Amino acid sequence: MLKFLLRRTLIMIPQLFILSVLIFLLAKSMPGDALTGQIGPQIDAERLIELREKAGLNDPWHEQYARWIGNVIQGDFGKSAIYQQKVTNLIGDRLGNTLLLSASILLVSYLIAIPLGIIAGRWTDSWVDKLIVWYNYLAFATPLFVFALIILFIFGFTLQWFPIGGSVDIQADKGTMDYVLSKTEHLVLPTMAGSLLATFGTIQYLRNEIIDTKIKDFVKTARSKGVPERKVYSQHIFRNSLLPIAAFLGYEITGLIGGSIFLESIFSYPGLGQLFLSSISSRDFSVVNILVLISGSAAIVGTMLSDLILSWVDPRIRVD
Amino acid sequence: MSLLKVNDLKVHYPILGGFFHTVIDHVRAVDGVSFELRPGETYGLVGESGCGKTTIGRAIIGLNKATSGEINFNGTDLTQLSRGQRRQYTKDIQMIFQDPYSSLNARKRVLDIVAEPIRNFERLSSEEERKRVQFVIERVGLNPEIIYKYPHEFSGGQRQRIGIARALMLNPKLIIADEPVSALDVSVQAQVLNFMQDIQKEFNLTYLFISHDLGIIRHMCDRMGIMYRGRFVEEGTSEDIYNEPQHIYTKRLIAAIPELETANRKEKTHIRNQIAEEYRQTKHQFFDKDGRVFSLKKISDTHSVAMQ
Amino acid sequence: MTVNLSSSTPVSDSMQPKTTYASLGNTMWSEIKNDKMALYSLILLTAILVTVYTGSFLLDLEKINRIDLYNIYAKPSTDNWLGTDYGGRDILGTLIIGAKNSITIGVVITLISGLIGLTVGLISGYFGGIIDNVIMRIIDFIIILPFLMIIIVLITVVPVFNVPVFITMLSIFLWTGKARLIRSKTLAESELDYVNASKTLGTPNWKIIVFEVLPNLSSIIIVNLTLTLAGNIGIETGLTYLGFGLPESVPSLGTLVSYASNPDVIQHNWWVWLPASLLILVIMLCINFIGQALKRAADARQRLS
Repeated sequence: MLKFLLRRTLIMIPQLFILSVLIFLLAKSMPGDALTGQIGPQIDAERLIELREKAGLNDPWHEQYARWIGNVIQGDFGKSAIYQQKVTNLIGDRLGNTLLLSASILLVSYLIAIPLGIIAGRWTDSWVDKLIVWYNYLAFATPLFVFALIILFIFGFTLQWFPIGGSVDIQADKGTMDYVLSKTEHLVLPTMAGSLLATFGTIQYLRNEIIDTKIKDFVKTARSKGVPERKVYSQHIFRNSLLPIAAFLGYEITGLIGGSIFLESIFSYPGLGQLFLSSISSRDFSVVNILVLISGSAAIVGTMLSDLILSWVDPRIRVD
Repeated sequence: MSLLKVNDLKVHYPILGGFFHTVIDHVRAVDGVSFELRPGETYGLVGESGCGKTTIGRAIIGLNKATSGEINFNGTDLTQLSRGQRRQYTKDIQMIFQDPYSSLNARKRVLDIVAEPIRNFERLSSEEERKRVQFVIERVGLNPEIIYKYPHEFSGGQRQRIGIARALMLNPKLIIADEPVSALDVSVQAQVLNFMQDIQKEFNLTYLFISHDLGIIRHMCDRMGIMYRGRFVEEGTSEDIYNEPQHIYTKRLIAAIPELETANRKEKTHIRNQIAEEYRQTKHQFFDKDGRVFSLKKISDTHSVAMQ
Repeated sequence: MTVNLSSSTPVSDSMQPKTTYASLGNTMWSEIKNDKMALYSLILLTAILVTVYTGSFLLDLEKINRIDLYNIYAKPSTDNWLGTDYGGRDILGTLIIGAKNSITIGVVITLISGLIGLTVGLISGYFGGIIDNVIMRIIDFIIILPFLMIIIVLITVVPVFNVPVFITMLSIFLWTGKARLIRSKTLAESELDYVNASKTLGTPNWKIIVFEVLPNLSSIIIVNLTLTLAGNIGIETGLTYLGFGLPESVPSLGTLVSYASNPDVIQHNWWVWLPASLLILVIMLCINFIGQALKRAADARQRLS
């Protein structure tokens, strides 16, 4: 197990390296550089050439890369050309918002999916099961942005039950109960849109898993020995299915990032996804790079953690 | 003059392990086996599953790579040939597979299955091709009109005949039959075996017959090698092996053949116990301290035994 | 279900019914027939396709694109069944053209990425060894990448952006899942004796891959292509919605939906964005229901019929 852990962690290093090189090269191919945003009446062209030389922008790319990645590792993410402030500051609050939204989506989707999956698996082919399977097909097929817009239209604009944008009421003060309530209220619609569709994988996995274990010999034995039906399910399901579901979380990160871009744009929710879109539109590439790097690294690390947890749950996976 | 001479053949598979997934040991599937096949004879390879008999067959036909040793076919060492050079020997060596279900592609018609080898080596018009296929299909005892059907429309025995027809298309000299009837019903087994003997005469074939069933081997083979853990324990003619088994493993195998006469069962049990006792006492003569089989020693013109 | 050809007279080549292929088609059809949702989906999807493609053929593009400032954001009426947009252009016309573009581009992306995935998967699964190892590592890596972000960056960076470039970019990312699936199925098939038999018969590897293994994967490929088609239409319209998809000159269903990012439009001019949203939803649902039925046909254990 320790060997697997070490080896799996080692694979991560080249992955992170390639990711950072890719992003850097992409950044290099982008129009403009870190100084483009500073062009103004007070700086003339000659001075700019001088500044470029000084900033090392004429060095070979690998040297520039080494400098950039060195800074990033030390936590210096550079400066935004548009906002004229440190990228770290820009990311700060927004990261919290995005994490909050993602966590809330995951939590709600599990709260919906786990009971539904268990019910569908336990009473296969009943009308409840059919209904759940139906819902699952819908969840799988519906594109997130369409669903989110419809939710916004119905609950935000038409019924006006919930706020249509932002992450908190600007008038609420930090630390007050109103603030917390307002935050929660702003979370409702994006969470609803995200989580109702995110249930697909969990429901399907649980349902299949339960149907599969139902016909396995040890379950038949337990049943024939008179173990109550509820116990048969709760024991085996908890042991065999819930942990893998938790472990799948790491694989979901790429999907969550993609989802947050849509959700944050539709619900004008100030998170990283929205920052990404606005930076891309204003060609603020130093911000874009860092955001892609953070997302990619999160996905790489998440996948590794999932691999590790799953291999711990099911040793067969370890034989790579 | 032998048709096929296998000399000290070894097929080893690496076992990967350790931190960097390096080779830490080998599985010795075939570990130094030598034998030869004379034209027209049937040579049997017998042993329990996992003893390496199938691996030998697959190494001869090129499905497995030999780690070392020689496979001389008509004087050419097949192990030294490149893939391209080896292709011309494909015509001479063919194989009949164990499972008549997975060995025929379910998506192809009988015509396309049986014609596959000649399409690789000859350019025939579809009319000539169809005639050739129908000729061979008739030889293997099937109605020539079935060539437009699909494999799933046939029984196991019929499918095995189709597999044999396919192997015969290139007029091979040697056919490797890897447990050709073990997937079939007992009632069909005899039919297929007898029919294999018929076509052996008709097409002048040499068989390398691989089986775990001593009864079938006895029925089919002139000579045979008994295998255990990748090595030969005994080699000889049918008479040598069945009438005067020398190696304790051979004796135990023969004693394990089920007795059909109920009257003789008691006696059989007695013999088995006797041999089990003999095994305990004489084990060291046949296996070294690691349980490895010794090298073969000739005890008569035809008979060799692996003992100290 | 299968056509039993127990003819007693020799039949000429041209008359040969292709039994197994027909039976694959047959099982798929009977599976769809037995699943009411799939059947309705098929009918509805066919109707949509016929309307969209004949419609876009008959429509006068110039007339649709003509800006009419006296008629902006007009409500649905007999003149403009689905009203007009900010330029006074007919929504129904744009909807039909957009649907045509979205579906066509979705199909092209599916086919290109499918072809790449199929080729890579077959090679990786059939040959195994180092090739397989390297390919799988690359796929693992591409799958982890934050696909949406990188596509958006690429689209902003690329010097010339048009429909073929868009299709190529998406295809470069979208082949990996298919390659993985095909690889694992190929691996399983390659261990079967019919592949070994072909090897011993002197059939070259490429022929074994194309003529022996590939036909045995056909049902899986059809199912996968169907399901990914739906996904790809979603990705294209989604990107277009965000403004990083099809260029303005090539309207997509996503273009119409993107008008909804204007709060005024989403609230008061539902006819601009809602029909396109619903059409995307309906198309994707239909394709998925058909795909699920095909999936059951491909997997005998799950069959309804």
